[in-house]
Amino acid sequence: MKTKLQKAMFMTLCLIMVISLFVACSNRPNEPASPTGGTTATGGSSGGSTSGGSSGDQSGSPYRDKYDPPVTITTAWGVDPALTFKNGETIENNVATRWALETLGIKIESLWSVTDTNGAFATKLRLAMTSGQPMPEVVTLGAGDTQLVHDLIDSGMYREVGTLFDEYANDIWKKAMNLDPNVWLPYMKDGQRYGIPVLDYAYNHDYLLWIRQDWLDALGLKAPETLEELEAVMEAFKYNNPQGLSPDEVIPLDIGFKNSMNTWMSDPSWVFGMFGTLPEQWNLAADGSLEYGSVHPGIKQGLAKLKEWLNKGYIPQEAALWDENKTAEPAVAGKVGIIPGPYWMSGWPLLDTAKNVEGAVWKPHKIPTGPDGTAMRHGTHFTNGVTLLHKDMKHPEAFFTYQNYLFEHLADPPVGGVFEHGVFEGYDYAFDENGNLLTGDDVPGGSVTAPLRYFLVRDGARIPDAQMKALLNLATGKEPTTVREKEVVLYYGPETANAAVVLLEQEEISKKNMFVGAPTETMKTKWDYLQKLERETFNAIIYGEKPLDAFDQFVKDWKAGGGDQITKEVNDWYKKTTG
Amino acid sequence: MELEPALESKPATGQALPRKTARHYLRKTWIFHLMILPSLIFLIIFNYIPMAGIVMSFQDFKPWLGILGSDWIGLDNYRFLFERKDSLQVIWNTLLIAGLKIIFNLLVPFTFAIFLNEIRILVFKRIVQTFVYLPHFLSWVILGGILLDILSTDGGIVNRMLAALGLPQVFFLGNGNWFRVTVIVSDVWKEFGFGTIVFLAALANINPTLYEAAEVDGASRFKQTIYITIPAMIPIAIVVGTLSLGNILNAGFDQIFNLYNPLVYEKGDIIDTFVYRVGILSGEFGFGTAIGLFKSVVSMILICLSYYIAYRWANYRIF
Repeated sequence: MKTKLQKAMFMTLCLIMVISLFVACSNRPNEPASPTGGTTATGGSSGGSTSGGSSGDQSGSPYRDKYDPPVTITTAWGVDPALTFKNGETIENNVATRWALETLGIKIESLWSVTDTNGAFATKLRLAMTSGQPMPEVVTLGAGDTQLVHDLIDSGMYREVGTLFDEYANDIWKKAMNLDPNVWLPYMKDGQRYGIPVLDYAYNHDYLLWIRQDWLDALGLKAPETLEELEAVMEAFKYNNPQGLSPDEVIPLDIGFKNSMNTWMSDPSWVFGMFGTLPEQWNLAADGSLEYGSVHPGIKQGLAKLKEWLNKGYIPQEAALWDENKTAEPAVAGKVGIIPGPYWMSGWPLLDTAKNVEGAVWKPHKIPTGPDGTAMRHGTHFTNGVTLLHKDMKHPEAFFTYQNYLFEHLADPPVGGVFEHGVFEGYDYAFDENGNLLTGDDVPGGSVTAPLRYFLVRDGARIPDAQMKALLNLATGKEPTTVREKEVVLYYGPETANAAVVLLEQEEISKKNMFVGAPTETMKTKWDYLQKLERETFNAIIYGEKPLDAFDQFVKDWKAGGGDQITKEVNDWYKKTTG
Repeated sequence: MELEPALESKPATGQALPRKTARHYLRKTWIFHLMILPSLIFLIIFNYIPMAGIVMSFQDFKPWLGILGSDWIGLDNYRFLFERKDSLQVIWNTLLIAGLKIIFNLLVPFTFAIFLNEIRILVFKRIVQTFVYLPHFLSWVILGGILLDILSTDGGIVNRMLAALGLPQVFFLGNGNWFRVTVIVSDVWKEFGFGTIVFLAALANINPTLYEAAEVDGASRFKQTIYITIPAMIPIAIVVGTLSLGNILNAGFDQIFNLYNPLVYEKGDIIDTFVYRVGILSGEFGFGTAIGLFKSVVSMILICLSYYIAYRWANYRIF
């Protein structure tokens, strides 16, 4: 009797385990599959009905200003870790998804989302592609994910979008896109356009020198315009510091190159620019071909200069270990005299310096010129990524409905328009009982960092020259009238307008990376090694572990190790795309 | 299978023992086979089926073409691995860093456990044990930031202490040789508390009568440690060492990735960071798989070797 009971218990236990295994297994594939099922159902029903469209568009076109019944678009999200939410909302369900449904009749369905640190979004998307999971119909990727974008395009899962854009995009969007026809170049395949470039503000990553004006004034110095003047200023900042810092404490010039010699903040590339080249990007050579900046002879002089500055203590002793965010720390702490960076740095991070050091004032200044009067800085492409549309997407025109609306109302919001005061009331702005506008931390319940990031395309819609236009208007002393101008005054630091002027005064020194295509065949196998060799050599020279002449050996090794082949391939691409 | 006789013995009493045929054996024990089935299925699904992916290392793998559709390129991925000028350096870095980590992660907890065992005040012992155990739970992302600060040549606490002692400044994270030292020391600091637990368990298992007898014979505390404690711990040390040898090609991705920089690429770049850059960042799956397989083969050889050694010297068996 007892044993039978035991056996029965064993059996039950076994069954439970086996069943739970199957349940666990079968759950997985079902979950991601269901949204697609839902999509097709919704898509089918709305496609069939032509009545009830609120717009008076041509009845032949599926395009509507508002879809009724609503259509569904699936997507996937890489959530910026700094992005905040309120009222228990998530990226899948928030004020922007409700807005899309109510205003445009577009239901945004999320397949999945992931906190985007260390490239988690790209990795997850790549894995989804590899394992045959349903892919999002609309997906926006950053500019850094070129390889993945090309893999997705080559996979045939994402469609040609150029014709869609020509057919459905509105004039504002088209005009913005035409500011620089080169924006399509990275996403061309066989002469057709496969991805819609995400437009960004022009000059967003161009940089200038932020200098502590209070230090300059106290020393009676003027802003440096040449290399010699720059060195004199650094010397004075270090040994005659107006803030009373000892020479060991001061960092006259705050740069860091842990990740790259050509980066977005605390960038050292202009030091090489004074000698006629920019490292880690493809520059236009005198003969019209493309050449890789890091093997240009000017680099040698730039390295010698950096080495000299390191020895003299002008730059951080651990510059090779510091990434961009690390360099911001001493700058905010008030120990830095000069920091190179974009025009918007007056807002973040430099605005906080005055909290730590009373009377600290940062002012934007031009990039100084080298011995023969040359100056260069890296330029900004007008794009910040790309949006791909899936080939099986039932309503690709709905995506254009979404973006057209944003380009019309958000990109340069007219006074009295929908987005006059901000993006969403109660999120980035609010009104008190007297009708006064509240922004930032004054918003009841706290504001969210960037509701723009809730949109399907990162930052909603940007017209490349809108920001600069607003800033230049402000710099003339004009009162802010348009929404864009008011926003700049509210959210960016006090010096941003002046910085824009400084940037444009030196417009001709801005050099963009001319190679924007997919990695070439040889790049795939050799590029990592060449890049490693380059960074290793440059750092070793600056830190005195190798003599300066190691640069010549590096150039030889680089060329022999695949560099020559890659240069040829890059130039083939350039000839093919520019015609 | 250990349970079988216990279960069988009860109903078997009073009955004639039947012939042991395979069928009968199954009828008696099917329930155990059923119980092992879930784990077996898991093992097959998650460990054996993915092995088919090894094929990718011989292909120019494209995810959308799949394993069946991708181009066959033979040993090109392997050729590429050994053609790179820095491949041997990277493999050597990995072996050196991982090897030293294994040695020190064995020696330090071993010694520390003996010291800790000599402490008479129980509360103090427990507190120390907990404290050295804590760093195990910190992630390298956090520790990376902390180390960057405390090892800084520009006012970092370690260099300030060196200066106070009149010693020269050390660029811990920027000098290749010091980088290796830093990596190993910080890893040992983080993990030795965890390793100590195993050895403390071994110490608790030593028969106290041995110590009593030794005391009667007039052995000092020190002699007792040398002749009783250490010999009793050697077998477990060999087991721990053997098991960790399988990790000889894992030099610790998260640690290196968070600490390395261009100045120490030459002495700090390891196979895993290399695979990450080439395989994951640039999406060269075939190449990534090739290195993975290479790593597995080397690890397999080392495990067999160390198992043989453990079997010979410590009489340790798994099979």
